[in-house]
Amino acid sequence: MAYILNRFLSVLLTLFLISVITFAVTNILPGDVAMMIMGTQSNPEALAGLRETLGLNDPLLVQYGRWIGGVLTGDWGQSLVFKEAIGPLIAQKVVASSLIVVMSMAIALIAAIPLGVWAAVHRDRWQDSTSSTAALVGVSLPDFFWGIMLILLFARALGWLPSSGFVHPADDFLGAIRHAFLPSLALGLGLMAHLTRMTRATMIGILGQEFIRVARAKGLTEREVVWGYGLRNAIGPVLTVAGLQIGYLFGSIIVIESLFNFTGMGWLTYQALLNRDIPLIQSTVFVIAAVVMLTNFFVDLLYMAIDPRIRLS
Amino acid sequence: MTPIVSIDKLRVTFGSGAGTVEAVKDVSFDIASGETFCVVGESGSGKSVTSLSLMRLVEFGGGQIMDGRLTLHRETGPLDIAAADGDTMRDVRGDEIGMIFQEPMTSLNPVFTIERQLTDGLRVHRGISGPAARDRALELLKEVRIPEPEQRLQQYPHELSGGMRQRVVIAIAMACRPRMLIADEPTTALDVTIQAEILALINRLKRETGMAVMFITHDMAVVAQIADRVVVMYRGEVVEEGPVDQIFSDPQAAYTKALLAAVPRLGEMRGKPAPEPLRLVGDTSEPKPLLPKEDPEPLLQVKNLTTYFPVKGGPMRRHVANVHAVEDVSFTLNKGETLSLVGESGCGKSSCGRSILRLVEPTSGTVILDHQNVLDANHRDLRRLRRQMQMIFQDPFASLNPYMRLAAQVAEPLKNFGLASGTELTEKVAALFDRVELSRDYMRRFPHELSGGQRQRIAIARALAVSPKLIIADEAVSALDVSVQAQVLNLMMELQADLGLSFLFISHDMAVVERVSHHLAVMYLGRIVEIGPRAAIFEDPRHPYTKALMRAVPIADPSRRKLEDDLKFKPIPSPIHPLTFTPDPSQYEEITPVHKVLRVS
Repeated sequence: MAYILNRFLSVLLTLFLISVITFAVTNILPGDVAMMIMGTQSNPEALAGLRETLGLNDPLLVQYGRWIGGVLTGDWGQSLVFKEAIGPLIAQKVVASSLIVVMSMAIALIAAIPLGVWAAVHRDRWQDSTSSTAALVGVSLPDFFWGIMLILLFARALGWLPSSGFVHPADDFLGAIRHAFLPSLALGLGLMAHLTRMTRATMIGILGQEFIRVARAKGLTEREVVWGYGLRNAIGPVLTVAGLQIGYLFGSIIVIESLFNFTGMGWLTYQALLNRDIPLIQSTVFVIAAVVMLTNFFVDLLYMAIDPRIRLS
Repeated sequence: MTPIVSIDKLRVTFGSGAGTVEAVKDVSFDIASGETFCVVGESGSGKSVTSLSLMRLVEFGGGQIMDGRLTLHRETGPLDIAAADGDTMRDVRGDEIGMIFQEPMTSLNPVFTIERQLTDGLRVHRGISGPAARDRALELLKEVRIPEPEQRLQQYPHELSGGMRQRVVIAIAMACRPRMLIADEPTTALDVTIQAEILALINRLKRETGMAVMFITHDMAVVAQIADRVVVMYRGEVVEEGPVDQIFSDPQAAYTKALLAAVPRLGEMRGKPAPEPLRLVGDTSEPKPLLPKEDPEPLLQVKNLTTYFPVKGGPMRRHVANVHAVEDVSFTLNKGETLSLVGESGCGKSSCGRSILRLVEPTSGTVILDHQNVLDANHRDLRRLRRQMQMIFQDPFASLNPYMRLAAQVAEPLKNFGLASGTELTEKVAALFDRVELSRDYMRRFPHELSGGQRQRIAIARALAVSPKLIIADEAVSALDVSVQAQVLNLMMELQADLGLSFLFISHDMAVVERVSHHLAVMYLGRIVEIGPRAAIFEDPRHPYTKALMRAVPIADPSRRKLEDDLKFKPIPSPIHPLTFTPDPSQYEEITPVHKVLRVS
């Protein structure tokens, strides 16, 4: 329990630091919100008036307090580009992006774990070199390349899946999955390659341990030895690395969502940056950071459930 | 006696094509029920490969049984293990033959409970699970005499000590009442008191169940403690087989004789005035004892040395407690003599050696080397002082840089202190190779081309390069095969005689210590519990811990065996104390002016 509490406190601390950094960075950027709203050709007096109304002349600490207070109470302010409240806007986009992030992670793990185990069990034989080569190709090529290839194959040539757009799962669940599938696969391929290599390396280490020999000496079947004794020990490190990749995925969705015209967080962040929509930039960066932090917190909890050594120390 | 297992002309290879290595060649022997059959040999002798072949586990390590029969004699008729299929082998493993391995710390699966690991075999072979399996697991834990067995079932391996883990591993192997137990170096990684207990446990289980025990070891003293019959292996072949008494009293093969000559035996230095080199097979000259000087001059004086390591805890990684690694340790080492620090793992002997060199910063105390205070020395003085004291580490594989040629590694300290350059440097390095009896051909080679013993010679040459007065040897021969260990020990003693070196010899091996030491300090929980001349400590031990240690040491003499009930050692308490803890100073009772024993408070 002390461990969970410690981890949770460090999550809160990190979130606080992130909020300070995002707030500071957006304030250091040239130009301010008033200028964005009224345009560069506006009347200086009106501009000063707007600055006063928006509280931009207050000390930074007061401005930060107002912003973080709003964030905590659900008032995230107005987007300058979309002219609507940021809270509901982000909530909808988070659903869209979570869909492809979760799906791509699932695709990656479902494929990577068996592949990695298979390569480790047949270490230094053709199975291993095949999977290693495939993984290397997967890691080397960027996501958008896979995205283009997948669109060409599954959308254009075969016509099996839609190549663009987002459908909310509440409206049409199957449609949502269909629309999210190709972007998820494009993201998942690179991730899968990475996780395959990770699973292989961890499994090779585990399979060389003495307790694996002890398990065999008990008369257990190879299936129990590899999948029970072996994978149960290897899964923790693999999940930890997978958790750290969530951050990488939120970086990659900016490109992939644009490619698939998928209106999620990546797309929203891109729009915010393009239009210098400072309140929106602050909020998207903060939300992405928070999601990454919390996911990793949950991965740690999961690791704790898997490995008793962490539970007690 | 009826055999349980007959091995007939076994041949095992590793690799294929030009890289094929024949690990076991034409090995034959029988093992009968109710006997302990020891397979003894040095690394590369093929002893483990033979035992793994019997379980057909050798294939998982890349080995292949090329030839020979491995007959398991069953009531239903003989089974050739070498030709058995996977399902048959899984029935044999864990049911008819149980096996235990060397590393108790890694032999158990860290993520499963003890109960789950104990009952796996019952589930697979007997179809027993649930409460019935739990009862049997509890019974097994009682059989291997684990304290508080009921609590252990739901615990995980990391909550158990090394000795307890090895007991659990034995219980796992015993779960289905196998007719034979294969034990592959089961006590090598254990402290000597725990080793004694585990050996006695295996002996008792054998007596009670009538099973056969195949015991693989490199340690002749362990063989003497446990074997009924012995087979000696060398480079994949059997060189000698016979009853244990005959092997020790009347060895036939030249290799067995050489092996026995290389084993230091506890008690064989009795009545000798000073350490002397082992007399190895082929030595013609009488070994010269290393008599101390008439009026010895102190080289190293350690006073009240104390080293704590901080324990960090909480979210801010605050300093919450201390590991009391070295606690108020004082001793004097004379010029040209050897003082040994002995004790079990965690007793602080290595931390003590490192504190003297200031590889770790001591908390308090004084260390005087040749009238200069080491602990007060500033950075520049410390560098100068370290020239006087060099260290040799345990692992000859990890203590050499794999990317540097050997000559460069030996030359490094000379260059570092600006003591030689150019042709003078080359000559000095060549002379050091001669000094440690290593051919000059090796100068241009890399560490991976050398054996363990040769690497340790390089480590010694590197330490000698700057002509130090003191060498701290931290378990310097522990990782070596016994014949190599003997050569390195003799080399160290020869260097002491020729160069007047002083050694601080840190070791867990009482027999080796008896062989090399002028003085001895026994360490326990960071303190020296007994210190004095070698003869006084070995012939008249006074502290209860010294006595326990002596009682535990296996002796390479089959007529002096130990019983489980004589042992029963107390577990060592934790050296971790809260920050507020103030330890008592170490106070000693003088048995003689030089032989002192810690007062028990």
